[in-house]
Amino acid sequence: MVVRSDSILGPRPRAFARLRTRRAAAITTGVALLALALILGVGLGTVSVAPSETLGILARRVLGLPVAVTWSPSTEAIVMDLRLPRVLSAMVVGLGLAVAGATFQGLLRNPLADPYVLGTASGAALGAAIGVLIPIRFVFFEFGLLHALAFVGALVAVYVVYRLSRVGGLTAMTSLLLTGYAVGSVLAAGLAMAMYLSGANLRQIFFYLLGSLDGVSWQQFFVAGPIVVVTTVAILARARSLDGFLLGEEVAAHLGIDVRRERAILLSLAALLTAAAVTIAGLIGFVGLVVPHVVRLAVGPGARGVLPLSALFGAALLTFADLGARLLGEIPVGVVTALIGAPFFLFLLRNVRTGYEL
Amino acid sequence: MRHLQAPPSGRSEGSFRVRLAALLAAGLIAAGLIAAGCSGASGGFTPVPSVGAGTTAPQTILPASPVPGAPTATPAASQSSAPTATPPTSATRSPSATPAPAAATPGATATPSTPVPSAAAVSYPLTLVDDEQNTVVIKVEPKRIVSITPATTEILFALGIGDRLIANTDADDYPPQVTKLPHVATYSSVDVEKIVGLEPDLVIAGGNDFNKPDALAQLRRLGIPVLVVYGPDIEGVLRDIGLVAQATGRPGPGSALVADLRSQFQAVRDATAGLPHPRTFYELDATKEIYGPADRSFIAEMIALAGGTPITTGSTTVFSIPLERLIAADPEVIVLGDSAYGTTPEIAAARPGWSTMTAVLSKAIRPIDDTIVTRPGPRLAEGLRALALAIHPGLVLPPAPTAGSGATGSSTPPAPAAPAASASAAPSASGY
Repeated sequence: MVVRSDSILGPRPRAFARLRTRRAAAITTGVALLALALILGVGLGTVSVAPSETLGILARRVLGLPVAVTWSPSTEAIVMDLRLPRVLSAMVVGLGLAVAGATFQGLLRNPLADPYVLGTASGAALGAAIGVLIPIRFVFFEFGLLHALAFVGALVAVYVVYRLSRVGGLTAMTSLLLTGYAVGSVLAAGLAMAMYLSGANLRQIFFYLLGSLDGVSWQQFFVAGPIVVVTTVAILARARSLDGFLLGEEVAAHLGIDVRRERAILLSLAALLTAAAVTIAGLIGFVGLVVPHVVRLAVGPGARGVLPLSALFGAALLTFADLGARLLGEIPVGVVTALIGAPFFLFLLRNVRTGYEL
Repeated sequence: MRHLQAPPSGRSEGSFRVRLAALLAAGLIAAGLIAAGCSGASGGFTPVPSVGAGTTAPQTILPASPVPGAPTATPAASQSSAPTATPPTSATRSPSATPAPAAATPGATATPSTPVPSAAAVSYPLTLVDDEQNTVVIKVEPKRIVSITPATTEILFALGIGDRLIANTDADDYPPQVTKLPHVATYSSVDVEKIVGLEPDLVIAGGNDFNKPDALAQLRRLGIPVLVVYGPDIEGVLRDIGLVAQATGRPGPGSALVADLRSQFQAVRDATAGLPHPRTFYELDATKEIYGPADRSFIAEMIALAGGTPITTGSTTVFSIPLERLIAADPEVIVLGDSAYGTTPEIAAARPGWSTMTAVLSKAIRPIDDTIVTRPGPRLAEGLRALALAIHPGLVLPPAPTAGSGATGSSTPPAPAAPAASASAAPSASGY
């Protein structure tokens, strides 16, 4: 995916200043988009609530200001208990997926890598399907068996892929990718079988596969949110290692990076991010694949720029997509992310001015 | 798009099955969800976990319990349904914390109990346990009800309280005026925000994942009582009618309706009792794979009641039937549950491999309105009559006790049904 590459080591030095201003511009844009997404996400829905009431409710409940109550309890419930947790969860999931995608792409040096590349998606899906098929009702912090097994499935899949990939004569990254593909295929077959056997439960599995933020509660947000935020911070702290990996493992080793250790840590962190995101929202495609590319097109491949910006844009994109999904009558949010994101990405690809490489 | 359809899942209502097909068309997911507004009858249903397979099913309708289900913890409320049934039947269940077996009393005769048009009102706050074992507390008599399954909408109208319904689903089509109400649910979603905005005092939803459990949990968290109903078999549907009647403060009309339906079922059963039971295949869909009733499913039970021997898929969870199996089973009657989608007897007869079937040779392929046969609501009796006539075209059935069963509250006592002495009323094996 090299588009008019300047050199293998990234942009030439005289381009650095320009990149810095572009980075500042991108951060400003990202923050502005995220703020807009928050306002629209809380302000709009299938029930129309006057902006003044929305603001009043937020001021009273979030900031604790003594605003006179001019709204009905149901309006307050809509804003505080339905929209706000959903918007914040969309942000957290979008952030997590985009950062995980950027990490996997950098680590594996593969532009087609996404958060699900190492079997996470199939593992989570199979876990969820098994959770649906087991007739046990289990609720923990408003997470059911489906969520729990999806989380476990995602992590176990990555672990199995990682362990299996460490034998054989292939290079580590190629081996990881191919093992991920093979294990993913086996899990997908298991999922197909589970769906075939599921009878009346097919719908529940199917909706999980489509991905949605419908029904997210504060409790779920408060469980998944911190995992995503802490993990993201941990990955950001390792941006330098990720930069090293971009140059190839050998170069990274020469730069003094403990390649095996860093790779294992980054893989685990990204897998944890993905698992947390998948647990609240099911399988949402596209955000993790495309957002990091969009960011790289804007600010170049350096992980210290790509990671935080991916977080910002991923959060904004998913919030907008979820708003669209809600307003259009709960269509799958993955459909909206693709419909919004893909044309924009194509536009960027066609108009790319700087050198682009992973 | 229908050929992509999955095994019918959940309980079937209206066009839902078509929409599942749309969903499964992976690439067309979005288009499917938005555009699959096309309506029509359908068939999906669910395996019956409880009652015995087809042929034994009829017995399950026999015991007449005036207010089925509706276990309640509120003392005052629990009284209302107790003093009802005529002494000999003794099938009356006193409300208890757990659902009692449907065919509880051995030797119960088929005499339908005379319902007491109960003046004993339900008192609120009322505590009920619904079909998914949720404890539902209803503070005041519900006046603003949201029904998110077509069947429960029909039940409300049959109880004479259709005017309390403030919102429903886009699949609701009966009685006709319900299409004008706001739609707060579709096949694939429940618009929680819209429901909350309407400030209902009761939401009646479908169980077995008919409505998304997440959405129902969200409604409960916001303090809106949600009553989940799921009748896996005819007895379960009757119990659900009683449960809805109890929840909405209409126990009298509820037991009248249930007794009325029971007598109608019994009338069909009596009319077909002495006839040969032809091997009957109820076709749900055959555009690609052939879909029919699973073992012990709702439709298998209906066919058996209607005087047929159901041909099933051989599994309780698989709804597709291989053509070889169908040919080997050699249906004597084929009922086209998919006629609303344009399947005609001619099309069915012309399918490759079908020409050897007895039903095809004797031209015993008959279309039916699938909605009334599979929608677990008060029109099931009508559906059963239609099914009996499809299986036995020359059958003469006694006139239906209540005209058009449905749109008006049926507070009239049921017509006396033939007291089928032949009914042995073996206790069903089930927990229902």
